[in-house]
Amino acid sequence: MRLILATALGGLALVSAQSFAHHSAVMFDDQKEITVKGTVKEFQYTNPHSWLLVDVKNTDGTVTTWGFEAEGPSTLTRAGIRKSDLSPGTEITITGHPMKDGRPAAAWMKATRGDGKQFNPAAGFAIK
Amino acid sequence: MTNASWKTFCVAIATIMLAACQQQPAPQPPTAGPAPATSAAASTPAARAAEKQRMTNLGIEHKTARALYDHLKQEAQGGKPLSWQTVPDWTGVWTREASPFFWDPDQESPTALPTAKLTPEFSKRLMDKLDKVNRGIEFDPLSNCEPAGMPRWMVEPFLREWVVTPQETYLVNEMQNEMRRVYTDGRDHPSAEDAYPLWEGDSIGFWDGNKLVIHTSQMRAGQYQRIQPYYTEQVETVEIWQKADADTMAVDIWAFDPPALAEPWYTKQSYKRLSNDDKSLRIRYWDCGENQNNTVTKTDTGSSDFTNFNFTKKDGK
Repeated sequence: MRLILATALGGLALVSAQSFAHHSAVMFDDQKEITVKGTVKEFQYTNPHSWLLVDVKNTDGTVTTWGFEAEGPSTLTRAGIRKSDLSPGTEITITGHPMKDGRPAAAWMKATRGDGKQFNPAAGFAIK
Repeated sequence: MTNASWKTFCVAIATIMLAACQQQPAPQPPTAGPAPATSAAASTPAARAAEKQRMTNLGIEHKTARALYDHLKQEAQGGKPLSWQTVPDWTGVWTREASPFFWDPDQESPTALPTAKLTPEFSKRLMDKLDKVNRGIEFDPLSNCEPAGMPRWMVEPFLREWVVTPQETYLVNEMQNEMRRVYTDGRDHPSAEDAYPLWEGDSIGFWDGNKLVIHTSQMRAGQYQRIQPYYTEQVETVEIWQKADADTMAVDIWAFDPPALAEPWYTKQSYKRLSNDDKSLRIRYWDCGENQNNTVTKTDTGSSDFTNFNFTKKDGK
């Protein structure tokens, strides 16, 4: 697996690790970050959360599909992230807080497309 | 803050809160003079604090939300109905300015306690909830695709619209397509015999110049937000909506809820109009169940988990 980085962060209280929208963030480990590089399989541009599915090639040649959760379409629009920005086959390096139970899914924090353009869903909550 | 220090902090604060809540709220001096019952923009922190206290006192002076609403209506000499010629321009796409995790924008951080003066029972319920959240045990009923409902509606993030007509005003939050209808045609609430709990409650209002004054009752029990206190079916609110400037909607709101609140909880909410020059911001129908990857269920321990991913299996990971 092309796992670039998995780091433990400092000791913030869990109560500060809240997520927006329709569920608690307790299934994600906000003390860790994981970064993978792969190609976009599908961008599920949906409410209440969007999911970016990324195919990541493992060292043994197999492929794992990772899911990165972000906010829904209106917040992504406010962040300048359109569905067409991340069409299937797009090369991407993406970072998130991973699931605690080890499933290949994470809360999307930031991503960089092959051409260098960056995508940060949380920017969608900025008031401008 | 570590888990241990957070727990110590919570216990200490809970002790203080319980002691405070066991005292009856002290009678407050009446509001001085005929000051307008709406919170004007105060320019300094001290002035804002004084204004907040004045508005808090105004709530305390009235035994019920309905009494406060009737007082405001009397002050406005009954209000003046809108016509199509006098409908204010509340158009645009809006969103809440403060953190959606706090009911009171004055709450300083997620690890501070809400500013409400709670009854001992509801103070304990809050502390129990925060302790569980701190231990990673949390489930939000929104995960069942329920609406937030009023009054939680006030603090949810995402896009909002205000639609004003002479007879009704529609207050819309895109999340779960939640729309509040505020009747300003002079009707009253349904009779107590016919009242039943509603997600958005039943709202009546009147116009005092450019201010919309609202009384809402018949709400369902819920929570002000995930790390905020609970409210009961007895909760009622009074709101004063007005534009502070072209891009700011200011809302004074009092929540009355005798089982949960030792005194009415006054806060000042603010919503900002978003720039939308390219017209890309549009409120769409919100289907909470349209993507199976968002299926979240309550675990055996009372927490939350994804249970229906379409790109991986839980056992096989």
